[in-house]
Amino acid sequence: MIAPYFGLDPSGHADLWIALVIGVGFGFTLERAGLGNARKLAGQFYLTDLTVLKVMLSAIVTAMLGAFWLGRSGVLDLSRVYVPETFLAPQLVGGLVFGAGFALAGLCPGTSCVAAATGSGDGAMVMAGMFAGVLATGSLFAPLASFYESTAMGTRTLPQVLHLPYGVVVLLVVAMALGAFRLSEWIERRHAGGAARTIQPAGATPSTGHAAGVGGVA
Amino acid sequence: MSRRRQLGKVALALGAAAPLVGSPYQGDHARIDVAELARIVERREDHISAVELAEWIRKGKPGLRVFDVRPQAEYDELHVPTAQRVSLDSLGTVPVVPGETIVLYSTAGAHAAQGWVFLRALGHQNVVFLAGGMYEWMDQVMSPTLAIDATDRERAAFTRVAELSRYFGGLPRTGVPRGEQALTAGQLRRRSC
Repeated sequence: MIAPYFGLDPSGHADLWIALVIGVGFGFTLERAGLGNARKLAGQFYLTDLTVLKVMLSAIVTAMLGAFWLGRSGVLDLSRVYVPETFLAPQLVGGLVFGAGFALAGLCPGTSCVAAATGSGDGAMVMAGMFAGVLATGSLFAPLASFYESTAMGTRTLPQVLHLPYGVVVLLVVAMALGAFRLSEWIERRHAGGAARTIQPAGATPSTGHAAGVGGVA
Repeated sequence: MSRRRQLGKVALALGAAAPLVGSPYQGDHARIDVAELARIVERREDHISAVELAEWIRKGKPGLRVFDVRPQAEYDELHVPTAQRVSLDSLGTVPVVPGETIVLYSTAGAHAAQGWVFLRALGHQNVVFLAGGMYEWMDQVMSPTLAIDATDRERAAFTRVAELSRYFGGLPRTGVPRGEQALTAGQLRRRSC
């Protein structure tokens, strides 16, 4: 458990209960967004369904604005929130491995748990693979340790890297996210229109075809 | 207007206002209640003695954190057991769990007292500093002395301190002429505050 909840109740396990509630809420939200479905996630890579991008950007913008304004109003002490350190080379390699696994399986760690919880065999198998990978990495950690700890850059945040005030970075990220929303919806509409045209009966109007296309995709 | 569009406008409004309000870190907006701090100082609740600190460390006082605000080189040379080195300018970013007791010390006490003000301004309640700093630790804990003409009361107090001193690897001395007590502080060269 990380701050701000860590250590709130040093003698008990209140922070673990908070973690459980947040975890269940996170899983519920992922499922409601449809991210327990491997086909939906795979659609991200084919640019046919950009729900993943939109959900992730929504989460980033909500968390960022919440953290910024709660910190600014004195409710949240941001200095207590742990920011993971940057290890450039191993994190780049880890990102590539993660992305390849995501594209192959159609699920990431969080969504595989959600899928497994809803009875999906895909999700259960991805979870099994994930734990096998954790076990294999742990077993091979000694020879990997020097690479694992290489290119350490300490704790880096966007304001530090960009030499910009926090508030300016917040505005830039919100603008980027809103732009990405518009772009993703334009891509989805374009794809839906294309799909509709491929199954459009001769003589039908474009608007009717669009609706038929969406129905066909679903 | 659709709900998505409304949420987008709210996000944009909050994002646009963010650059206008400054940093979200509390350390950048600390406030000092001067009258309250003055009352704490008058009640002598702002500091503890080296012997008290030694007792806390020995007992394993729950939630105790000892911050050494001296330069790194001086910390590496010698520091109070369990202390962690924290520079004055990074005091505001050190994560502190509610309920923890922070003890600050410097070489002679001045920098630690300044750090005490910083942490109080940031809203930390359980903060004290070692009034005499590292000098006091060396004198009172590592090299306590008993005057040759000590009173019974002084002897009783020394027995307790001598035991503490040995626990920390110190060398208590007895039979010292009264004028030669507290030599350590005098001998230490004052390199900083």
